[in-house]
Amino acid sequence: MARIKKPIQASDVILFAVTLVIAVIFAFPIFFNLMSAFKTNGEILRDAIALPKGFYTESFTYLLTETEYPRAILNSAILTIGSIIAMIVIIPMAAYAIERTGNRWTSGVYIYFLFGMMVPFQVYMIPLFRQLKAMGLFGNLAGPIMIYIAGSVGFGVLLFTSFLKGVPREIEESAQIDGCSRMGIFWRVVFPLLGPVTASMVVLQGLGIWNDFLMPMLVLPSGQPKTMIVELFYYVGEFSSRWDMIFAGTTMSLIPVLIAFLTLQKYFVKGVSSGAIKG
Amino acid sequence: MDATLEKKKKKTWRLGYAFWFILPAFVLYTTFVMWPTFSSISLSFTSWDGINPDIRYIGLENFREIWNSPRVHNAIWNSILLAIALVVLENVVALGLAILVDKVRWFRNLFRSIFYFPVLMSGIIMGFIWMIILNYNFGVVNQLLDMTGLSAIKADWLGNPDYAMASIILSTVWKSAGYYMIIYLAGLQGIPQELLEAASIDGAGRWKQFRHITFPLLAGAMTVCIMLAMINSLKLFDQIAVMTNGGPGFATETLTYIIYRVAFGEGRQGFGTALGIVLFFIIVIISLIQIRVLRKREVQM
Repeated sequence: MARIKKPIQASDVILFAVTLVIAVIFAFPIFFNLMSAFKTNGEILRDAIALPKGFYTESFTYLLTETEYPRAILNSAILTIGSIIAMIVIIPMAAYAIERTGNRWTSGVYIYFLFGMMVPFQVYMIPLFRQLKAMGLFGNLAGPIMIYIAGSVGFGVLLFTSFLKGVPREIEESAQIDGCSRMGIFWRVVFPLLGPVTASMVVLQGLGIWNDFLMPMLVLPSGQPKTMIVELFYYVGEFSSRWDMIFAGTTMSLIPVLIAFLTLQKYFVKGVSSGAIKG
Repeated sequence: MDATLEKKKKKTWRLGYAFWFILPAFVLYTTFVMWPTFSSISLSFTSWDGINPDIRYIGLENFREIWNSPRVHNAIWNSILLAIALVVLENVVALGLAILVDKVRWFRNLFRSIFYFPVLMSGIIMGFIWMIILNYNFGVVNQLLDMTGLSAIKADWLGNPDYAMASIILSTVWKSAGYYMIIYLAGLQGIPQELLEAASIDGAGRWKQFRHITFPLLAGAMTVCIMLAMINSLKLFDQIAVMTNGGPGFATETLTYIIYRVAFGEGRQGFGTALGIVLFFIIVIISLIQIRVLRKREVQM
């Protein structure tokens, strides 16, 4: 349906002005963060609202050379990428088996998985902490990766099974007649069709892991760099007089998020609407 | 007969592959979610401190303490306050933003992105930025008040127990309104344009159109948003950790936060686990109500 361009009215201009003002208020804290990252600490304290005088990058250099922040960046990246890859391998497969068989057993497993979505992390964090120590997983990155995968099973399976309902079985059946194994059918025929839903899961879970705080703080050993977010939290206490440095740190953590958002915007929005079903 | 045999054979084979496909997810989920959840039940009957290998059972003592402790009552009250304030404010702001983005004539996508971006930020980063903005001596808010001659209402927004909770609520609304905006926006775009046009031909003004057409048709989106906002507000943690650490005093200590403080700050992990179980039951009750309400709505539609 072609839209007819209506002439510009006064109400359009007023509405635009109102939206613009609210958008400025909304964007201000982010702008404030980026701006402060390039100011000296003195500048921030003297006049928080003023624009930076020069292009001060000393706090970035300090953070990258004098602290253990680079190690924390690496840890964040390993946790995010490692967990996401493992999720892609494990979760769609389980969802596929549940959706395509749909018998008593697999439906039971489905409900069992969904139950986990109701349990907030704070409920089981104390026993989990104890259990990791007993299993010898306390203190290395494999522990948090497994916890992330386990924690995303409920939501992931829900997301994939609802998408698989709309994927026709005919192609799989013909591949089956051609003598393809189930594993082969899944990865070569079905999985390529799951692109959009996989992207939504990657974006949502990836963001959640990148931004996660409580679990890595508890589970990674003290005295060593943890993740970016956890280190930033410690810096707020330790370097309470070096705001410029913390702003440089938050900026470094926000940049990948910003890039991912600008390139994958569609999936972020889709993820929200699918997340809305989750509850 | 041949066909049934074929069918039977197919079925067992299918179960075979399903087993292997589900196994990895099942094992991980059971080990790292369900097992600790169930072991929290037995741990909640102990006085464990987190270190001592000798775990002592004290029966229902932890739950009795929860029932009687003024500190826990305060935390539950704070959680309720936070939940109500966030549910109302987030939804009002989100609906307002959605209407603006839906109606505005220029740069619609840019505005949507600006309102949505805070959703993607970590609570720690967002909390730190707001902590600096609200700082008493050097913060933006007090500086702006000074500049506009309103120095009289300057306050220590996070250090004063009267304002700390309000500061956390408002900054959280800033962070999460964009999320619910996207849901409302999808709802708004699903409203048939003809309906509004017909109403305006019949002489209904903008407000009447909103009141009698748009608003009722957004009811579904609103139910979802209210429920999500409620659950998310109960889980709120990062902002509190960085902005106030539950303080000043116990002014911003919520149920989620008291669990962490008691278990890892005060070495009372048995008691913390018992509080976790209370939190779990509250969330289950809300979820069950949510499912009921959503089902009812589906029937109506």
